[in-house]
Amino acid sequence: MKPYRPQEIVVETGVEESPIYRNVKRAFPDVPFIYSAETEVLTPQDFGAAKRRLFLLRHRGEFLKKCPGSDGQVCCNYFVINFASNCPMDCSYCYLQDYLGSNAALKVFTNVGDLVAEAGAMLEKHRKFFFRIGTGEITDSLALDPYIGFCAEVVPFFAEQPNALLELKTKSDCVDGLLGLDPKERVVVSWSMNPQRVIDADEHDTASLDERIAAAMRCQAAGYKLGFHCDPMVEYDGWENDYCGMVEKLFTAVDFRRIAWISMGVLRTTPGLKRTMRSRFPSSRLPTGEQILCPDGKLRYFQPLRVAMYRKMLGWIRAAAPTVFVYLCMESREVWEQVFGFAPACEKELGSHMTESLAS
Amino acid sequence: MDQEIRSYCRTKGFHLHTEERWLAYSEADRGALLELIREVRPGENHFRDLVDWLDEIALRDATQIATLLREKLSDVVTDPRLGRNDKLKRLKEELRRLRFPRLAGIEDEIQRRIRNLKLPVGISISVPQGLEGGGVAVKIEATSQDDLRRLAAEASRAADSDDMKEIYSMLGGGAAGA
Repeated sequence: MKPYRPQEIVVETGVEESPIYRNVKRAFPDVPFIYSAETEVLTPQDFGAAKRRLFLLRHRGEFLKKCPGSDGQVCCNYFVINFASNCPMDCSYCYLQDYLGSNAALKVFTNVGDLVAEAGAMLEKHRKFFFRIGTGEITDSLALDPYIGFCAEVVPFFAEQPNALLELKTKSDCVDGLLGLDPKERVVVSWSMNPQRVIDADEHDTASLDERIAAAMRCQAAGYKLGFHCDPMVEYDGWENDYCGMVEKLFTAVDFRRIAWISMGVLRTTPGLKRTMRSRFPSSRLPTGEQILCPDGKLRYFQPLRVAMYRKMLGWIRAAAPTVFVYLCMESREVWEQVFGFAPACEKELGSHMTESLAS
Repeated sequence: MDQEIRSYCRTKGFHLHTEERWLAYSEADRGALLELIREVRPGENHFRDLVDWLDEIALRDATQIATLLREKLSDVVTDPRLGRNDKLKRLKEELRRLRFPRLAGIEDEIQRRIRNLKLPVGISISVPQGLEGGGVAVKIEATSQDDLRRLAAEASRAADSDDMKEIYSMLGGGAAGA
């Protein structure tokens, strides 16, 4: 995977004492640093350009939020921590292109102490509940870690929490910062998985499939539980061979008994995102699939097609890992029924299944 | 040609970016779209739908919009029996079939199976547009209790048929070709 190197780094004045700032300063000695009290005026408008200017600043709102899921779809009761916004990688289908809109600056929030204090207060207040918390909703959890050292700040905290599990979701192989930490069964490192053909065509600047699997093996050896998200699944001529081969390769390398969960989800876009994709990645063939507008406003492959895809994928996963917990991301109850023969009664039930799968 | 394109866009009140999108095509594609537009005179929303689908089909099949219009859609566009509105409607139907060939194929097969059921007047069976939801809607409209009993028995017969079994299999991904 190609190392990330910003063209310049914009620092909000007053954050120079934070560990994140010190780590970034050390990581990029040759990159110009711009110090400003008004960082917003330096935000690039172009989404691609925004990735090349790294902002370090304080986060002023709440760090911890409930994952919004998607209207009318079965949800897995997940919480997200936004320690950064935008991502150094550049997948053609990335929903952030649409979601972040004119607020596309690549930001890392330096007040990690506030984040830990906020999470600690919530977990302490609700000890009867178990929380699954992820950091990969509006950024990649690990792609910037070699430069910012975020994991070293938060993994030891979450490792000590009796009622939380932290998921670090990535398309990178940047796991060095995790290997010396003891997760104490409280941290899942998970990868978004696709065959190399999809990575080459549409997951720009990400780790290759082999690099992702090698990184997963290293995390497994270091005591981490693993997760895999076969999402977004892409349908094209020959997809079956590619995805089946990917599943076989994965389970040849990792011990499925250390896998916390595997999710499946087909490619999802919105009409707005499709327009952006057409403009930024005109040769991408992703928008040419047989995707229709669903009631939640997202475009997906028409239902019989995606149900057939899920069933095949589930069959390949089950053949290699019969007991691993598999779920669908952002799918309706009807699709759950058609794929698994049941649908969770509510989001709490799905969340509970996932928590139970950790104990087994 | 470009002057005529600009003039059409302004007459119809198209946004500038729609006009620019049209003008950015190759000469052959610009011209083919102009011929199409002379026949069907669409408003901006219809025009955008048409070029979105044409773009996606052309990218998928590694062809040009002009080729697509000439080889696959010229019969509809030049059919003298159709008025403008009917041409536009037929054009969009044909384009949808080209854009979503497997979905259209399954929808056709489901309709064929529904016809096979030979349902009496008073019962209708339908599936949702785009097949999203996986359900079959059965509507019974009875004029008396006896009529309702009779139609319910017909519905029950349909439910047990091989055609209905096949419809549910198709909705569940049995024929999606994935």
